Amino acid sequence: MNPQDLLKKAREEGRTFLLEDETKEILEAAGIATARCYRVGSLEEAKRVAFEIGFPVVLKLRSPYIPHKSDVGGVALNLSSPEEVARASERLLAAGRRYDPQAGLVLQKMARPGRELIIGVTTDSHFGPVIMLGLGGIFTEVLQDIVYRLLPITAGDAREMIASLKSYPLLTGYRGQKPVDLEALEKVLLKVSELVEANPAIKELDLNPLMGYSTGTLVLDARLVLRQ
Amino acid sequence: MEGKDQPADAGVVCRLREIFYPRSVAVLGVSDSPQRVGYNLFESLLYGGFAGKVYPVHPRLKTVRGQKVYRSLSEIPEKVDVALIALNERATLAALRECGEKGVKGAVCVAGGYREVGEEGAALEEELRRTARQYGVSLIGPNTLGFINNDADLYATFYPMRLPKGKVSFICQSGGVGLTFMHRAADAGLGLNKWIGVGNRSTFEFSDYLAFLGKDETTAVIGLFIEGTENAGQMVRVAARLEKPVVAYKVGRSEAINYAALTHTGSMAGSYRLYRDIFRQFGLHLVDSLLEMVACLQALATAPLPAGNRIGILTHTAGPSIVAADQLLSRGCTLPPLSEHTLERVRELTGPNPPFVLKNPLDVAGMGFLAEAYGKYLDLVAQDPNVDLVLAIYCQHKNWPFPSPEIIRARKKTGKPIIACYASRSSLCAEDRRLLQEHGIPLFTTPEEAAWAAAALVGWSAELKRRSKK
Repeated sequence: MNPQDLLKKAREEGRTFLLEDETKEILEAAGIATARCYRVGSLEEAKRVAFEIGFPVVLKLRSPYIPHKSDVGGVALNLSSPEEVARASERLLAAGRRYDPQAGLVLQKMARPGRELIIGVTTDSHFGPVIMLGLGGIFTEVLQDIVYRLLPITAGDAREMIASLKSYPLLTGYRGQKPVDLEALEKVLLKVSELVEANPAIKELDLNPLMGYSTGTLVLDARLVLRQ
Repeated sequence: MEGKDQPADAGVVCRLREIFYPRSVAVLGVSDSPQRVGYNLFESLLYGGFAGKVYPVHPRLKTVRGQKVYRSLSEIPEKVDVALIALNERATLAALRECGEKGVKGAVCVAGGYREVGEEGAALEEELRRTARQYGVSLIGPNTLGFINNDADLYATFYPMRLPKGKVSFICQSGGVGLTFMHRAADAGLGLNKWIGVGNRSTFEFSDYLAFLGKDETTAVIGLFIEGTENAGQMVRVAARLEKPVVAYKVGRSEAINYAALTHTGSMAGSYRLYRDIFRQFGLHLVDSLLEMVACLQALATAPLPAGNRIGILTHTAGPSIVAADQLLSRGCTLPPLSEHTLERVRELTGPNPPFVLKNPLDVAGMGFLAEAYGKYLDLVAQDPNVDLVLAIYCQHKNWPFPSPEIIRARKKTGKPIIACYASRSSLCAEDRRLLQEHGIPLFTTPEEAAWAAAALVGWSAELKRRSKK
């Protein structure tokens, strides 16, 4: 489905947000690489998909009633065997069905480690749609090392955003660590900008985490909120 | 997408021009008591020296300050361009209708009691806005001190005063801060062109005033004091299109302050971080205080722009140069080493073993006490190819005159911008300040202000380059 149809479908179903797999489909269509989510209807299917994409894998709840999966224990990382997938599946569904008896599961490949980044879009009451970039975890939550720009942004804006982070030296290869592919990161910022400009129905969009590698980036989780 | 880029509304600029350059002004609700706002609006026009017609209006009053008072707007035989309304929030609404019927182009509503006080006030303000639109009257305010157009000697506020003239205009979301700014600017020898108290922004937004000042030929530099606006996107887009520097001071940094800002001007303060980052994106120069605001405006209105961000400092006392260096380095400026050639010339001037360290800042200590010697060192620092802008620090002395002629000479000789910093007070350096300013050299009396001023020049120079690349 194309982005417009996905957004329309969610609205028709009375939802104000898109599910992770739908959001990733929109991002992929916009040219942003994501860790693809596979919907799995049964434990057997989960095991089969896990074998196909290769262990380790991540299992997550899928429900229109649970926008924040990790808050309800709806994410199981780094599952490296069919047995672990089975146990996690049972645990996640038990947790999820307290909120939604129809809650299902999605499965994705466990991403290799990289530099955790966050890109967010929010609609500010003073400015309208703004984009945010930060480093994941403590950098954003504790140190508040984040930078904002008004959308849409130019390539120059994207470059300045990246360079104005206090933790910028961590992205360019600090103490022998591999640098992050900043050109790819710049492109993701621009593509998010274009996506939001083309779809005014988008109120919020989070790419969190967005993994930065020495070559390319990968969206591990994403959520999208629609305007009321 | 919201806040889409729109060309500056030529109609808006035209309407504001009509308000700022009227031929006649009426004061509705004038009074003969100096304790009343109405009296002071009237006196302000007279004291400021407005050359156009001034009509005081009051239903019962016969004369005020020897001038005939009209019973109503309609009784005035001639055309009235602008009305200053000194009535309460309900009477203001009725007066605005009268303005409409008389064909008045612009009205200043000083009364508060509108959306800043709650729902009922908001409804009243909506009515005010509707009435203004219906009659085609442009409204400044409500809830404002008014405005000043020093270029036309038009002081349309209820604080009678006269201010030095200049090329700097100021858009202000607070009367009290506006007055603080005016006095500080006057103290610092900074001339004002236009001052605008935006009030509740019923008709005109920040972006409208910016577009107006952008087209205003007598304004070269714009200052902006802002608590918050729901049209911030449009504001920054317009600011970025002006070919004039905009210096912005945004207040309300904690969430707790939102309520105070709302009850003050009818707008939440919004997120400071967003304002800070987005001002940077659109090339507004963000400052941290009113003192910095005045210093930056003064520099931008006075000095030429440096080619780059490399600052050379000459001083005869180390402390102030360290204070300045701290501020400069945290604001995107650098202090490069002086060239070998310059150091050689300094040695030639001083002797083989100078009693000071040869570096930047160049602290020549006692060798720089007297103006003539100070001037020679200044020439060397200013000529250095590593230096884009010079900060000249000197301390006021009863028996040693300021090196102002020497600073002017160095400025002329090298063509580079120089900022003077005298440890002194306004009353003792007023004449030197005037002289220096005439030659494009701003003078400050603290090293912080001098450094902020330098950073503003460096910032605007860099912003012009950044825009030309876009």
